Amino acid sequence: MIENTKEVKDKDFNIKRSAEEIRNLSFKDHLCIGCGICESTCPVSAINLGDIGAIVRTDSQNSKLSINEGKCVLCGMCSGICPADALIFSIDSQPISKISSYPKYDAYAEIDDDKCIYCQKCEIACPREAITIARSLPDRSKLVTGEIDINEEICVYCGICEEMCPADAIDVDRTPESESIRVNKDKCVYCLVCKKSCPVTAIKAACRICSYGDYDINMEDAVTKGSSFIDDELCIKCGWCEGVCPTDAAKVKKPFEGTLTIHQDKCTVCGTCVDICPCDVLSFPKPSKSGEIVNNVAKDEQYCIRCGACAKACPVEAIEVQVTNVDYTPTKSKSWIEKFEALKN
Amino acid sequence: MPKHIASGLKYLATIELKKKGLTQQKIAEELGIDRSTVSHYLNGRNLSWNSIAVARTMTELCPKDFLILTKVLVKDAKKAQKIISTCQNKDFEAEVLDSCIGCGLCVDLCLMEAISLESLKANVDSVGCCGCLLCQEGCPTNSIKILEVNNDREY
Repeated sequence: MIENTKEVKDKDFNIKRSAEEIRNLSFKDHLCIGCGICESTCPVSAINLGDIGAIVRTDSQNSKLSINEGKCVLCGMCSGICPADALIFSIDSQPISKISSYPKYDAYAEIDDDKCIYCQKCEIACPREAITIARSLPDRSKLVTGEIDINEEICVYCGICEEMCPADAIDVDRTPESESIRVNKDKCVYCLVCKKSCPVTAIKAACRICSYGDYDINMEDAVTKGSSFIDDELCIKCGWCEGVCPTDAAKVKKPFEGTLTIHQDKCTVCGTCVDICPCDVLSFPKPSKSGEIVNNVAKDEQYCIRCGACAKACPVEAIEVQVTNVDYTPTKSKSWIEKFEALKN
Repeated sequence: MPKHIASGLKYLATIELKKKGLTQQKIAEELGIDRSTVSHYLNGRNLSWNSIAVARTMTELCPKDFLILTKVLVKDAKKAQKIISTCQNKDFEAEVLDSCIGCGLCVDLCLMEAISLESLKANVDSVGCCGCLLCQEGCPTNSIKILEVNNDREY
């Protein structure tokens, strides 16, 4: 009488139970980091984590996760505990992250626009490509000041100045009988290269800053403006943005605290963990001289979120991830608290 | 025939409500039937004693059978719930354990609409509970215990 329906689209799927209220669990494969926390949390053992190592390292058509819709009771625990927002559980289209009785991780990543200088270092460093820094550069013509004049009585339209101009500000038309030369003052930076290279001394130019300083430059015009955006769906709060930010504009709070240990004696340097880590924490160290064989895996623990995906995927159990603390919002449900606490090991 | 048994159930419910001291008008409203029908029942007119005997037997079945049969005979869910809660001859108390995960399956299973979720935990309204155990049987974590309680109800 009460049955779940499953809708599969490529590697994603939806499981739905429609009764008094509509309960829906949706899985987005591209967001799944393969940590398997959902699998071990599911109270009815309905979730199976695929062979993540093989799936990530090949063009596998398999989904990272499979859920038996016959077993699933749509409780939403997997969604509440997923550190990557790959599983979204909603009741009557309202995701449980927005329903206060459901606990969620106390974690965030944010960029303070007052401090951000739009250098885009975070955008480049983000392992999930979750950050977009849009910037508008100042008008170049407002940062320079000077004068330029070309005496066409003298000019022979040789085009040398056009070729020399680093700012691409000079156009010379060398068609016989209809020759002309034009300087684009929005582009000219008064570097005087044209003047110096002109073989017939037809160009008069002066940089006013060189003679008088910045006095007629409005420094406000020199500021790069912009905006920052973090895609909450993609962000896994690894802290790369905070780590690379030169102005302390990025702040990240991770959901877990703990440790990551690599047992180098067991490690076979197969690289599975390096490919799987969603936070670019694991890497092969650079050889000190060319031709040297790398025989270990390096870690940058600063950016580890203790998700345990590497440990789970390691074929020789050479990695240990310990979670010592889990930060989540309060709930009255003992069973949910138990599941969050069980993440500590 | 099924119609007659449904009438038999309504007759039994009418008698129960009369015992509680409800007026004919109130009984008619509660059960969603005509006042004249209530009057007929209470004055012993136009009754099929055979159907009433079948209806009475139904109330003596195990609660789940009584519930399901009544649901089949009385299509309107609210009316069926009213008849069941009026005619059931046992009282129940529910205990929900802390192992409840708040999946809401019991809410959807309960034909008496006696269960709601509060702070991710099932809350069973003992008054509305008919003792059918559908929730207990369907609970994925065995977190619901339905207990039959002694009562002084005369039947």
